[in-house]
Amino acid sequence: MTARPRSGAPLAAVAALACGISLAAQAPFPPQPPKPGTPKDFQVPAPKRFTLDNGLQVAMVQWGNMPKVRVSLTVRTGKAFEKANEVWLADLTGSLMREGTATRSATAISEEAARMGGSLAVGAGADTTGVGGEVLSEFGPRFVELVADVVRNPAFPESELPRLKSNLARELAVALSQPQQVALQKFRQVLYGDHAYGRVFPTNEMIQGYTVEQVRQFYRATFGAGHSHLYVVGQFDPAAMEAAVRKAFAGWSKGTLPAAAAPKPASTRVIHLIDRPGAPQSTILLGFPTIEPTSDDYVALTVMDALLGGAFASRITRNIREEKGYTYSPYSEVSVRYRDAYWAQNADVTTEHTGASLKEIFAEIDRLQATPPDPKELSGIQNYLAGTWVLQNSSRGGILSQLRYVDLHGLPADYPNTYVKKVFAVTPQQVSEIARKYVKDEQATIVIVGDRKVIEEQVKPFGRIADQ
Amino acid sequence: MNRSLVTALVLAAAVAGPGAQAPQKVAVPFDYHTLDNGLKVVLSRDTSAPTAVVAVYYRIGFRTEPKDRTGFAHLFEHMMFQGSQHLGKNEFIGLVESNGGILNGSTRFDFTNYFQIVPSHTVETILWAEADRMRGLNITQENLTNQQDVVKNEVKVNVLNQPYGGFPWLDLPQAANTNWYNAHNFYGELDDLDAATLYDVRQFFRTYYAPNNAVVVVTGDIDPAATLGWIRRYFGGIPSSKLPPQPDISEPRQEKEKRTSREDPLANRPALALGYHHPPRDTPEFYAMGLIDQILVQGNDSRLYQALVQKRGLTGSVAGGANPMLGNMFDVKGPMLWTVYMIHDSDKPADEIVKVIDEEVGRLQNAPVTREELELALVKRRSQLYAEQEEFVGFGRANLLAVFALFDDDPGKINRLEEEFRKVTPELIQRTAREYLRPTNRTILTIAPKQEAK
Repeated sequence: MTARPRSGAPLAAVAALACGISLAAQAPFPPQPPKPGTPKDFQVPAPKRFTLDNGLQVAMVQWGNMPKVRVSLTVRTGKAFEKANEVWLADLTGSLMREGTATRSATAISEEAARMGGSLAVGAGADTTGVGGEVLSEFGPRFVELVADVVRNPAFPESELPRLKSNLARELAVALSQPQQVALQKFRQVLYGDHAYGRVFPTNEMIQGYTVEQVRQFYRATFGAGHSHLYVVGQFDPAAMEAAVRKAFAGWSKGTLPAAAAPKPASTRVIHLIDRPGAPQSTILLGFPTIEPTSDDYVALTVMDALLGGAFASRITRNIREEKGYTYSPYSEVSVRYRDAYWAQNADVTTEHTGASLKEIFAEIDRLQATPPDPKELSGIQNYLAGTWVLQNSSRGGILSQLRYVDLHGLPADYPNTYVKKVFAVTPQQVSEIARKYVKDEQATIVIVGDRKVIEEQVKPFGRIADQ
Repeated sequence: MNRSLVTALVLAAAVAGPGAQAPQKVAVPFDYHTLDNGLKVVLSRDTSAPTAVVAVYYRIGFRTEPKDRTGFAHLFEHMMFQGSQHLGKNEFIGLVESNGGILNGSTRFDFTNYFQIVPSHTVETILWAEADRMRGLNITQENLTNQQDVVKNEVKVNVLNQPYGGFPWLDLPQAANTNWYNAHNFYGELDDLDAATLYDVRQFFRTYYAPNNAVVVVTGDIDPAATLGWIRRYFGGIPSSKLPPQPDISEPRQEKEKRTSREDPLANRPALALGYHHPPRDTPEFYAMGLIDQILVQGNDSRLYQALVQKRGLTGSVAGGANPMLGNMFDVKGPMLWTVYMIHDSDKPADEIVKVIDEEVGRLQNAPVTREELELALVKRRSQLYAEQEEFVGFGRANLLAVFALFDDDPGKINRLEEEFRKVTPELIQRTAREYLRPTNRTILTIAPKQEAK
């Protein structure tokens, strides 16, 4: 057999015909991969959209062949609207909202959703808060009624507050024991300063101080039909669903969203070392502010990101994982919020290779800035993004996220079906230009959670170490 | 041998109450073949998106890895990405991604899998690549050393530098089981990982990575006939091997409760897990336990959530199930644990939580559930079956077809699960709870934080 000559022993199992069947009858195994067939057309499924009198915008997509439907009432509120002394108040509002309505207890909500083969959750994000879940198709319209009750008529029972505060305090304690969360907190704090995006965690005292009145106030100030979307994706009876939506949400007050301050992220090349004595790894989070989804260059930026560190076959991953073995799961990302984004490289690296890992990450950035990628490397990444685009839009959850993304950022309606074209329009020269224009490595904030006494000397060459 | 069974995807309307939409029934279409070399093949068409899942499962999991090489089954999984005869290091990953796909591999109790989720027009290319690495690996010492480093970093990021690392999926089997195969460190001791040699890699491949120990599953927007032709072409010539006999992986009936505690210097809140030996696969009790799982721990309506979280505030959430964090109740062949676990506060001690769990379990043991409670468990279980199939852009369906072919020679089981759950009676639930949720059938694991955060 034609084992590729390598320095080690070739492990050609086919050569070891211990008790195998004769290969004589078989055609020879082709040495090159067969070419793929012709890609099938793919369109992100278009929603049916309508708006209620109170401003609630509805988008419904019939999709798939499994008898389920996903419903999300997405309100344009969240952590971005918390004041400096209100960190996680959006979360607490969501938790308390789930504790019952004027006519239903928390247990009744849980049981009703369960009888529909699903569950109902409230989740607060940075810019949006979602109320919803997924149920068996035949219960879709009834589930919409349940979602509407939870968001329109919350009882906010004071009796449940101490328990929910204990839960938040426990979540906080657990998060602060995870090095990745500690790194994120510092990174956001450095980038965003006093803005809500910079406040990842509250203090325990803050949590304990929250009152039901604060929750009610946050709800009154930031929930309303006029800045909400209802998404329905899956299998459902369209007429019955539309009727249920109109009935359940008619008369919900429009509300007025207060203005949220615009973030002003800033970054300088400083290393923030957070000591984790004896840690076998250093958790690295390295990044800088960048352009957000409404920018003309945004899609090209995501192509550059996938090639540099986003994909498994990306340069940084190949280097520090597959060549050097410094780490297991490094990845870069463009992390996006409303009118805001930053680029970041994440990696948990062996303590003794902390400095070496930084060196390789910056070397890969420099190399991409200096030299356009080989067209073949780029087209591989473009195919990867085009293929994963189809995957991202081939599940109820994925389709719903896409609708939410387009609506939050105010992207044109044709965005989902022009994205792939924009990906393929990027040239090798542009990738380098984008890397030079937007990868501000000389201004990168570098956060490292690790064993300070071992890594301090290693990381010194890569920037000033901030005072503790 | 070529058995074929094709069922159309049927969405049959059943009787429903007035005003409600009729519930629908899902039947998964599939073809099942076994090639002359023993390779099992399952093909299942689903045209809801122009994507496909290509999955190859080998009947070797971490449970039965060599005794002096803990963690080797998983380390070996990494080696499958390090080069085969026609694809050098990085080239397998590059081929999949540059064809628009994503990929991964995972090592579990009773299998190791490799899967790609790809645009459906690239299936032939991906099958060729999977066949190339089933034909033989081409690993250098340099690549082995590299992946030993990567895997050690994996253990560090997931266990050694992580609070609650390995809790409970890695800890609990070691505490609850007595047979080495079920009770060793599946991630591997770092020394054992370092000790692995190219010889070990070669032996392991020769022993287990043969077509008669594997199944290839392709699901999605495919032409089954053409896909079968490609599989015959690329895999058909790979010789089968003489497989070693399966070792005895049975666990004796547990007669005495076990309690064990581990200090976690990285954690700042205590944690608690209970593991009960699960009824054997495919027995009536197995399906009854699947419904008990729904009644006790799945969803906010479950009895343990209601008792521990909603009513008493002893914790904020309760997780659990069969094979938690690693799969579902169907994708384990040998002994497994039904598990409940949570993180809690020091002022709400584990004993208080266990007492409440005992009360709730006692209710199940002392009286049969009502018809209404059984119906609720069934509707939740049906919904979860669909979720298990749809998981990870349809990978879940390939997973179930693969394990039912590999473990049971019967991928059609995927369409009979709902019926099996329907056979469960309130009396069987009571009997199953009495035998399997005995305190003497369980292990209680507590995690003690080094210091409580202020």
